[in-house]
Amino acid sequence: MRLMLICLSFLALSACEGRQSVLSPAGRDAQDVLSLIWVMFGGAVLLWLLLAAIFVYVTRVEPREMPRRWGEMLIVGGGVIFPVILLGALLTYSLPMMKPQREADPGLKVHITAEQWWWRVDYELPDGSRVTSANELRLPTGRRTGLVLNAHKVIHAFWVPALGGKVDMIPGRETYLSFFPEEPGVYRGQCAEFCGASHALMAFETVVMTPEDFAEWLTAEAEAATAPASGEAVRGAQVFTREGCGACHSVRGTPAVGQVGPDLTHVGSRKSIGAGILNGSEEDFAQFIAHTESLKPEVAMPSYNHIAPEDLRALVAYLKGLT
Amino acid sequence: MSDIRDEQDAHEFRAEALSLWRITFSPLIWAVYFTVSYGTAAVVCAKGGAGAVALLRLGIGIGTLIALALILWLAWGAWRQWDMPRDREWENDAGTSEDRHQFLGHAAFLLAVISFIGVVYVSLPVLLIGSCG
Repeated sequence: MRLMLICLSFLALSACEGRQSVLSPAGRDAQDVLSLIWVMFGGAVLLWLLLAAIFVYVTRVEPREMPRRWGEMLIVGGGVIFPVILLGALLTYSLPMMKPQREADPGLKVHITAEQWWWRVDYELPDGSRVTSANELRLPTGRRTGLVLNAHKVIHAFWVPALGGKVDMIPGRETYLSFFPEEPGVYRGQCAEFCGASHALMAFETVVMTPEDFAEWLTAEAEAATAPASGEAVRGAQVFTREGCGACHSVRGTPAVGQVGPDLTHVGSRKSIGAGILNGSEEDFAQFIAHTESLKPEVAMPSYNHIAPEDLRALVAYLKGLT
Repeated sequence: MSDIRDEQDAHEFRAEALSLWRITFSPLIWAVYFTVSYGTAAVVCAKGGAGAVALLRLGIGIGTLIALALILWLAWGAWRQWDMPRDREWENDAGTSEDRHQFLGHAAFLLAVISFIGVVYVSLPVLLIGSCG
């Protein structure tokens, strides 16, 4: 029975692998965090073993009263000198890790604002202009990117476990974090501070790309939306206008300039829909538009379940075409 | 006779009242050091120019040395007041004036030790980070 329990606990450990795990780092900062975890854990195990050994010694091996001198040495040595040196060593080991986090010139800067319950993402180019996106973060490998964090109404927290630490996002106050990704891939981020009904449904994909791919992607992302290609997509654009989607959502290059909801200029190329809760297939788009309120409780967007099925299909074709 | 006795009591009370104050001095130095160094660093990092950080590090370095020297001096005074190595009395719980005197030395010494460690730990970022990070 006990053996079975132990085996079962290993099964639980296998969940620690993967694209949203501090145990599978994909960048320097996450590697630092992991090293800290192992050092602290290893140290704690050693300390526990040492204390257990002393306990066994004084209760079982040598239960006589100790000479007074020994007792004094144990209290001063084990209670003062040892912890001071140990904590000093840990501080000396961990403090320099914070240094690269705040390099003066991180190269690219991304402004991320937490909304209820999605992410406004603005890439700040070297010339100061901004490229607006939402609910997905793209980063180049091999260099440090600064993340300037803010929140709109309530406190959130920004966390991509595979890339680095976790930082609070506070309304009216900028906080800062930076990542140095090393392995291209798609990693999951998650809001890590309770922020209301749909807190658990506030996630996003972080796509780490090679510098060349990233530059190409950013150029494309800065462009206005592509015009609808098929007849169905053209009709979808009309549905988009008719239903008033543009009052809340922006599609650059079209009359839709709303700022309330996520920017949809290139929504068709994103890996997820609804801030990381659905995969982004046609079916997922249709589900999210028709059942928004049940998929994301208390969100500002109403469910558009009155749209006729063929109109919904056309609308999805239009949105999926916005690549 | 009783006048002399009263005078002695009054004198002793004044001395003890002072050493009661004295036990707060080391934590007070630690607190002031902490507030001033963090406050100055925040202001200089927000407003200072390029050379300001080097000057800030130097200033905090000197401040650290002064704080540590003061705490060491207080610790030495407290250690002598505790008078432990002579009578090997760790605890002074007899309720006599001598015990009161030594107990206050003991407490002041321990507080000086923790304040010294506190100041060293607070100063570590200046040594190890060295920028406004």
